[in-house]
Amino acid sequence: MFSCSPPTLVRTMNARILVVDDDTAISEMIGIVLRAEGYEPSFAADGTQALEAFRTEIPDLVLLDLMLPGIDGIEVCAAMRAESGVPIIMLTAKGDTADVVRGLESGADDYVVKPFNPKELVARIRTRLRPISATESETVAIGDLMIDVAGHEVRRGGAKIGLTPLEFQLLLALAAKPQQVFTREMLLEQVWGYHYKADTRLVNVHVQRLRAKVEHDPDNPRIVTTVRGVGYRAGAVT
Amino acid sequence: MRRFAWREYVGRAVRLWRGSLQLRTVALTLLLSGLAVTAIGGYVVTSVRANLFDQYRAQVVAEAGRAIQAAQDEFTQADEAGLVDDLERVQSDAFDAIRAIVSSDPLVAMLRAPDQVGQPPVPDQASSAFSEASMVSALLRGAIAAAEPDSVTWQSIAIPADDSTRPGIIAGSLLQLPQGQSYELFLVYDLQAVQQTLDFVQGALALALVALVLLIGAVSYLVVRLVIGPVRVAAEVSEKLAEGQLEERLPEEGEDELSTLARSFNRMADSLQRQLGELEDLSRVQQRFVSDVSHELRTPLTTIRLAGDVLYDQRDTFPPATARTAELLHAQTERFETLLADLLEMSRYDAGAVTLELEPTNLVRLVEDAIEAMRPLAEEKQTDIRLLAPGGYFEADLDARRIRRVLQNLLGNAIDHGEAEPIDVYVDSDQHAVAIAVRDYGIGMEAADLDHVFDRFWRADPSRQRSTGGTGLGLAISLEDATVHGGVLEVWSQPGQGSCFRLTLPRRRGDELRGSPLGLPPDAEEAS
Repeated sequence: MFSCSPPTLVRTMNARILVVDDDTAISEMIGIVLRAEGYEPSFAADGTQALEAFRTEIPDLVLLDLMLPGIDGIEVCAAMRAESGVPIIMLTAKGDTADVVRGLESGADDYVVKPFNPKELVARIRTRLRPISATESETVAIGDLMIDVAGHEVRRGGAKIGLTPLEFQLLLALAAKPQQVFTREMLLEQVWGYHYKADTRLVNVHVQRLRAKVEHDPDNPRIVTTVRGVGYRAGAVT
Repeated sequence: MRRFAWREYVGRAVRLWRGSLQLRTVALTLLLSGLAVTAIGGYVVTSVRANLFDQYRAQVVAEAGRAIQAAQDEFTQADEAGLVDDLERVQSDAFDAIRAIVSSDPLVAMLRAPDQVGQPPVPDQASSAFSEASMVSALLRGAIAAAEPDSVTWQSIAIPADDSTRPGIIAGSLLQLPQGQSYELFLVYDLQAVQQTLDFVQGALALALVALVLLIGAVSYLVVRLVIGPVRVAAEVSEKLAEGQLEERLPEEGEDELSTLARSFNRMADSLQRQLGELEDLSRVQQRFVSDVSHELRTPLTTIRLAGDVLYDQRDTFPPATARTAELLHAQTERFETLLADLLEMSRYDAGAVTLELEPTNLVRLVEDAIEAMRPLAEEKQTDIRLLAPGGYFEADLDARRIRRVLQNLLGNAIDHGEAEPIDVYVDSDQHAVAIAVRDYGIGMEAADLDHVFDRFWRADPSRQRSTGGTGLGLAISLEDATVHGGVLEVWSQPGQGSCFRLTLPRRRGDELRGSPLGLPPDAEEAS
């Protein structure tokens, strides 16, 4: 299991970003855009290189094209996620929905559909590298879990539960306002930084992934409960 | 209630009659053979009856003739012997002579002829069951009076029995008594025994004929089954084929017409399956092509887009000509992108590679969102968009992304052609359907143009300026979006009065549309 990266390691100005795309022109162009925004890009053209660079360079964020020669982008994504909670944003050429869902299920945090404009890309990256907003209290309880906001840790009893920063943010957003029912749109704005209509499947897939980690029985959730036809809310503190 | 049930039964019977060839064939066979058998039976019974009756009558008349002759002989002998004083004894002898001759036991009566005068030489004599009033008709009397001497006259009569009557024959003749006196002698024969024979024959015949009809019915049922059976199997197999179970085939046995049918049917199914298979392959190839083109075109376009945007963002630092170039590059890249997206969407529809993502959607909220998204463009054109939603608040199963796209497209067109007049958006629903109508009061279209609005790359007026940067595929895609939902997109327009596009969708997937909750164009009074 991995733990969330402590906030001190997230360098907003000099964050390292690994760009994985087999098209060198697009990689280079993305590199130009990223450098102009003050990020430090590195590049990989196929799956094997990508995993290698992921282990040696330890990037703060990965931009991952789904269609790669050699190891498939989905597999690369799953392999990276198995090792760390680093934010992964998919670059997908397809509007085809099945691919997006497969990518999200294998652990990607967000996705950008090609062709995209630079502002859109940078906005997605900024949201994912944004430090988790502090709450008033140091710890927040949800169900039988205790969230240590400053320490970026979630504990059940004495045991630590490893969550990605995104999952941590999602859980914290719900737990911080236990009385409130969150619509998918509200969560998209608060956790993913979308201020307009976006893909609600992002929320659905990540709630499923979160439940798989924090629930005793993911089919009968008690921590992140569904409010039919509306959205989600935090389960009662036990 | 009764009446209703009765009607229902009739309806069911009519459906059964129409639905089953077997029932019709057997019923018709039964009806026709029944008619034939009834005719034959009728003929047989009539001729048997005539024959039996004629024979018995001849026998009876001959016997009566002999009996009457014997009686006449008694009186003649008495006359010749001069025994005229004791005629009553002679009468008694005559009756004995009659009884000696007759085989059955007829009623016998000797009545004085009606035209005689003077003192009767003997009294009338008759069997106790004889009734002159009911058995002797005036017609018979006349015939006897007019007949040759010694001849026998007869008539069929009804003999009164306890409650009913029995068939009978009355035979009569004139007796000549001494001193020129005439008496009528009648013999009445009961035909009940003959009638019983006839009844028995009729009964047996009827039974035999009914059995025959039933037998014919059973035979025709079997024969029809033999023929209909394979036809039914063929019908079932065709049904399965039609439902897409292309592996279904008919059993091919023997050399007769039905197996020829089965063989040709199977050949047809083979060819159908082969062609469908080829089409499927073609469709797969096209889908694959669409997917490849999507990737291959979008990758360079992404780079172009990024490069163009980087240049565009720095255009203030360029000399004017270069800055303008960057602006043009930026705008046209966007246009290219939209066109590519629309083309890909269209070819996805052409390939049948579209799957809906249905979710319960509040249509009014969706429309509000779509209007909000178009607000900046509307304000730029100083166009007011009004929402009139008497219904549509309950959730309907829709692919929200596609319906939002349809709406934005319709709104964009309305703003483009609306001449800055207000645009009305109507939303309503009923039990089966939800509907949205977008009504503008702009330039409208000629009737000839209406036939082409959904054509690809068709433009209402090429000289008009377009602000929404449409690709010419918008309405074609909207039509596909409506169709894939099982809905319809219709248009109404009058030159100078504006246009109205109405989208009607079933509330639940697979429901059939019976009409639209909204008029075309909708009535503004009703909606508000």
